[in-house]
Amino acid sequence: MVLPQDALWYKDAVVYQVHVRTFYDSSGDGIGDFRGLAQKLDYLQDLGINAIWLMPFFPSPLRDDGYDIAEYRSVHPTYGTLDDFKTFLDAAHQRGIRVIIEMVLNHTSDQHPWFQESRSSRENPRRDWYVWSDTDTRYRGTRIIFLDTELSNWAWDPVSKQYYWHRFFSHQPDLNYDNPVVREEMWSVMRFWLDMGVDGFRLDAVPYLVEREGTNCENLPETHSILKDLRIKLDQNYPGKMLLAEANQWPADLRPYFGDGDEFHMAFHFPLMPRMFMGLKLEDRKPITEILQQTPEIPSACQWCLFLRNHDELTLEMVTDMERDYMYDEYAHDKGMRLNLGIRRRLAPLLDNDRRRIELMNGMLMSLPGTPILYYGDEIGMGDNIYLGDRNGVRTPMQWNGGWNGGFSNADPESLYSPLMLNPVYGFQAVNVLSQKRFDHSLLSWMKRIIEIRKSTPVFGRGSIQFLYPANHRVLAYVREYGKDSILVVNNLSSSAQAVELDLRKYKGNILIEMFGRNIFPRIGELPYLLTMGPYQFYWFRLRKI
Amino acid sequence: MPEGSILSDDFLRELINVGEVDILVGLPTYNDAKTVAQVVQAIRTGLLNYFPRQRAAIINVDGGSRDPSQDLVRAASISDLQHLSNIHALRTLHCISTRYEGGPASGIALRTILSAAELLRAKVCAVFSADSTNTEPEWIGRLLSPVVKDNYDLITPTYRRNKFDGMLVQNLVYPMNRAVYSKRIREPYPTEFAFSGRLGSYFAAQDIWSQDVGKEGAGIYLTIAAITGNFRLGQSFIGTKARVDTGATDLVRAMRQTVGVLFWSLDPNFSVWSSNGMSEPVPTFGAESDLTLEPLRVNRKRLFQMFALGVAELEPVLKSILEPPTVEELQRAAALGEENFRYSDELWVRTIYEFAASYHKQVMNRDHIVQALAPLYRGRAFTFLAENRDASAEEVETKVEGLCREFESRKPYLLQMWNERK
Amino acid sequence: MWLAIFEQPVAGDLGAPGPLRQMIVDELTKTMHEILRSFARFLPRVAVMLVIVLVGWLIAFVLKSVLRSLLRLARFDRLAENAGAAQVLKKLALPSATELLSRFVFWIAWLGFILVGVSVLEIVGLQEHIGGFFAFLPRIFAAMFLFFIGMLAASFFSRAALLAAVNADLPSPRLIGSTIRTVITILAACMAFEELGLAEHTVLVAFAIVFGSLMLGLALAFGLGGRDLARRFLERRFAHERKEEREDELSPL
Repeated sequence: MVLPQDALWYKDAVVYQVHVRTFYDSSGDGIGDFRGLAQKLDYLQDLGINAIWLMPFFPSPLRDDGYDIAEYRSVHPTYGTLDDFKTFLDAAHQRGIRVIIEMVLNHTSDQHPWFQESRSSRENPRRDWYVWSDTDTRYRGTRIIFLDTELSNWAWDPVSKQYYWHRFFSHQPDLNYDNPVVREEMWSVMRFWLDMGVDGFRLDAVPYLVEREGTNCENLPETHSILKDLRIKLDQNYPGKMLLAEANQWPADLRPYFGDGDEFHMAFHFPLMPRMFMGLKLEDRKPITEILQQTPEIPSACQWCLFLRNHDELTLEMVTDMERDYMYDEYAHDKGMRLNLGIRRRLAPLLDNDRRRIELMNGMLMSLPGTPILYYGDEIGMGDNIYLGDRNGVRTPMQWNGGWNGGFSNADPESLYSPLMLNPVYGFQAVNVLSQKRFDHSLLSWMKRIIEIRKSTPVFGRGSIQFLYPANHRVLAYVREYGKDSILVVNNLSSSAQAVELDLRKYKGNILIEMFGRNIFPRIGELPYLLTMGPYQFYWFRLRKI
Repeated sequence: MPEGSILSDDFLRELINVGEVDILVGLPTYNDAKTVAQVVQAIRTGLLNYFPRQRAAIINVDGGSRDPSQDLVRAASISDLQHLSNIHALRTLHCISTRYEGGPASGIALRTILSAAELLRAKVCAVFSADSTNTEPEWIGRLLSPVVKDNYDLITPTYRRNKFDGMLVQNLVYPMNRAVYSKRIREPYPTEFAFSGRLGSYFAAQDIWSQDVGKEGAGIYLTIAAITGNFRLGQSFIGTKARVDTGATDLVRAMRQTVGVLFWSLDPNFSVWSSNGMSEPVPTFGAESDLTLEPLRVNRKRLFQMFALGVAELEPVLKSILEPPTVEELQRAAALGEENFRYSDELWVRTIYEFAASYHKQVMNRDHIVQALAPLYRGRAFTFLAENRDASAEEVETKVEGLCREFESRKPYLLQMWNERK
Repeated sequence: MWLAIFEQPVAGDLGAPGPLRQMIVDELTKTMHEILRSFARFLPRVAVMLVIVLVGWLIAFVLKSVLRSLLRLARFDRLAENAGAAQVLKKLALPSATELLSRFVFWIAWLGFILVGVSVLEIVGLQEHIGGFFAFLPRIFAAMFLFFIGMLAASFFSRAALLAAVNADLPSPRLIGSTIRTVITILAACMAFEELGLAEHTVLVAFAIVFGSLMLGLALAFGLGGRDLARRFLERRFAHERKEEREDELSPL
C-alpha cells in the first residue's frame, strides 16, 4: 500500500499514541520492542488509525522517561536496533500508517557525549553548545517549571566550575541555540530520521529554545525565527512531512507557533481536554463552548491536535482554581489520583467505566475540529494503577488477551517493566483485545466503527465549525462544514434524557441522515428542529438536500 | 395557556431548557425596573460565591409590568451565548421570566415558582423581593446554606430594623403567630426566605390556591403551613433591608395579607393550635433581631385621629365584632384624647382575640372584619410610638416580649371566645 | 213586586183562614225541609273543609319543622347576620331569621289550606277571591325575596362604604354608609311594591332613585378607586400640608 501523496494528510489522520516499551515484547525480556510493535501493526490497521506517534525511544539514562536523550541517531538497545525501527517503519507505511516520532530540541541528557565534552573544559570546542555562566543570576525573570524538584534554572558544574542552564531537570542541560553550529547539528539529526522515512516530529518543549536577558525566556521571537527556519528547510527538502508543537499554553499564546502557516503544522489544544471532562460532569456545555470561542483562528493548513488522555497526568494547568477544585473533587476524590496539577488516571476509570460516557467523549473527540489522538489501551477501556508512582499507572503493558502476561510478553511476570493490571474490573483477564474482538458490541468494535465513520468524510478533519446554541445547555450542538458537505453533531452531556430544539433554519429543506445507522430523520422546516436524546447520547447527522 | 395549567407553553419550554436544578430562586416583580437589575446581580453573585457547583436558576414571575423588569432579569443569564469574561462561573445560569396579568399578587407568583420548582425538582428554593435596594449576595448564603447543608425546610430572615419599622409585625403578626402556633418566628411574613423542595411540594399541594388567601396571602401561610406540617424551621439574620419608597403603603392590604391570613388559618388548623403548649424558640443563625434607633419624625396626631374616628364611626360594626366591655373600654380610651390615650397590651390582645373569634364565627363579611381592625391598629401603633419614643433597643425588645407574653397568657381567652355561641 | 206579593197572602189570610194557614204551614214545612236539606247537603262540605284545614295545619307544621332544620343546617342565621338582617330583626324584637322564615312558610301554607277548605264550601263569589289569592301568592314571594336581597345588599354595601371611608379618612363615613343603606333599601322596597303591583306609578320614582344611587355609587367608586388620583390632585393643591402627613406613613410590615 502506498501512502497517499496529500500534503494535508495530518488533517485527516487519526493518531495512535504509543510507547514502544508498553505495546508488545517480542524478545521475551519483559519490555516492549520495535519488532513487537511491528507485529501488532495489523491490529492497528484493523483499528483504523492511520498514524502512530511514538514516544521517545532513543538511548537515554531514562531519568525523564526518555525525554533525556543521550544519542539522537540511534535506538535504545532494549527496544531493538535501528534496523528494527526501519523495518517497523516500512511495515507501517505499507499499511498506510504514518509514523511521528519525538524530537527533543531544547535539551539533551547530561550523559550525552556533547555535554560530556562541553563540560570537560571551558576551552572545549563544544563548550558553547550549551549555556554556561559564571553566575546563577542571569535570566532572573524565568520561571522554574519543575517547582517540586528544582530550585533554580542554573546548576553548578563542579568539573568546569561554571553554572549551566536547564529549564527542566538539572540532568537536562539546555542546548545553546544562539550557536549556529548547534542549529545545524539539530537539523542534521532531523534529516537523519526524515531520510529514514519518518513522517513527522513532535517537537518537545519548543517555547524555551532561546534565552534573553530581561525576558521570561519563553516564546521569544528568536525562538520563532529558529523554528521558521527549520520549517523552510523541511518544506524545501522533505515536502509532506509534519511538525507538531508541544507547548502547554493557552490557545491565544500558542497561536504564534502556527505563524502564517510557516511554522508548525499542528499543536496540541491543552485547555480543551479538561473542559470536556468538566462539561460532562457539570452536564453543561458552557466550559467547552467557551474555550472554543476563545480559541483563535489558525491558518488553513494548520490543525489542532485533540486528545482525551495521554501518557501524562490529565493536566489542570489551564483552568481556574475553582475549576481545578471541582475537577479534583469530581474526578480525583482519592488524593493518590492527583499528581502535580493534574489527575493521573486513564479514560475508562475517569468515566466510571461507563460505556455511554466513554462513547460520548470519544464522539466529541472525533467530531470537534482537530486531529484526534488515541492513547494506547483506551480503545479497549484499560484501567490504571495509581499505586505505581509518578505517571507509571497509565503506562502499564497493553492487554492483548487473558493469558500469560496478558499476551504482552513471554517473560516472567516479575521481570516485566511494569506490573500488569490485575483487578477484576480492569485486569487483563477482563479487559483485553482478544475478548473484545470477538464481540460486535465491544468497545473495541465500536471504536473501529467510529474511526471508520470519521474517516469516511473529510468534514471532521478539515471543515469549519459553527456552534448552535440551543436553549437547553445540556446539549452541545454544532455543524461542521467542508465544501458542500455538512454534518450536524448533537451531544447530550446529561445523564438523563433531554429534549432539545435546534434552530436549523439555515439548513431548511435538508434531510438528516444519521451516520451510524444511515437512517433518515425528518426534513428540516421553518420550525425549530426537535430532537429527543437519551442519556449521554450523541448524533452525527449528514445534511443532505435531496 | 392550556386549560388547567398555570404555566404558559413558552414558560414551559424555558423550563425544559433549564432542566433539573439544585437551587431555584424565585423573583416576583411588578414595575421594579429601578431595582431589579441590582437584585438579580446580587442573587447571581451570591449563587456563584456560595453555591458555585450547584445547578441553579433564577425564575422571574412578573405581574404585568409596563417597564423592562422582565428583560433586566433575563439579561442576567450566564450562558455561552453571552460572553462575560469577568464572571467565572462553572455552569450556565438561566434567568427566565414569565408573566401573568393583573398586577402584583404574591400568591400567583409564589404558586408559579412552586410549580416550576416541582417540575425542575429543585432541592432548595428561595424567594427574593425585587423592590429591595440593598440586596446583598450574602443573603443567598445566609438564607440558603441552612437548607442546603443542614436540611432545614424553611429559613425566614431576621432584619436589622429601625425600632419603628414593621410595627404591624411587632405588634400583631409576630406576637399572635407566636402565641397561636408556639414558634418564635420573628418575621412570619418575610419578603425573602428559603425553603426546601419538600416543603415547596407540600405547600403547592395545599388547597388554598383558588381562595383569596392563595392569591394574596400565600406568603404568611407558607410559614404557618410549615409550622403545622411539622417542618424544620430556622431563621437567619440578613441585615438591613431597604425598600424603594413607593409612597404610602396600603395598610388595609397589608393587613389582609397578614392578619387576614392568620385569622383565616385558625379554622383549618384548630386542632393544632388549640392543644399546643407555650412557644418555643426556633434555631437562629446570627442575631434574632437588631434594632436601630435613628430618630424618625412621626406625625402621631393623625394616627390618633384616625383611631378615634374609627372607634366613633364604626361603633355598630365594632359592636357586632367585639364584646360589649371591650367596645366600651375602647370608647372610653378614645375619649381621653391624644395626651392621655394608651392602648394597653391587655386591651389590645383582647381586641385581637375577639376579632379572631368573630372572624371564625363569620359575624359579618370576613374582609369587613379585617378592615374594621385597621383603625384600631392605628391606635395601637400610636401607643407603641408614644411608649417607645425614647426607648433603647433593649427596652423596645422588652416591650415586644411583654406583648408576646400577654398574647400567650391570654390564649385561653381566645379558645373561650372561639367556642362560645353567639 | 215585593209589596204586591206581600199584599196578596194577607188578603187571602183574611178571606180564607183554613186553607191559607194550611198553605203557610205547608210552605214553612217545605222551606224548613229545603233548609234542612241544603244544610244536610252543606254539612259534609264543612266536615271536608275542617279536615282539609286540620290536615293543612299538620302539613304546614311538618313543612315548618323541615324548613327550620334545613335552614339551620345551611346556617341561614349566619347569612342573615352577615347581611345585617339579624340586627334589624333584633331591633324590631323579632325572632331569628330562621324562625321567622319557617313561621312565615307555616302560615302561608296553612292559609292556603284554609282557603282551599273554604272553597270546598262552594260559596258563590268567595271562590273567585280565593283564586285571586293563589294567583297573587308567587308575587308575594317574589316581592319578599326581592326585599330580602335588597336588605342584604344594603347592609353589605353600606358597611363596605363605611369601612372604606373610615380607612381612607374621608369625612363623615357614617353618613356615607347610611345614605347607601337608605338608597338601596328604598330601591328594594320600590321594587318589591312594583312586583306586588300595588303602586304602579312608583316605577318612575324607583327609576329616579336607581339613577340617583347609581350616580352616587359611581362617585363613590371613583372616590375610592381613584383615591390615588385624588390624592395626587390634592397633593398638588395642598403640597405642604400633605408632606407633613406623609411622615407618619411608616411601613407596617
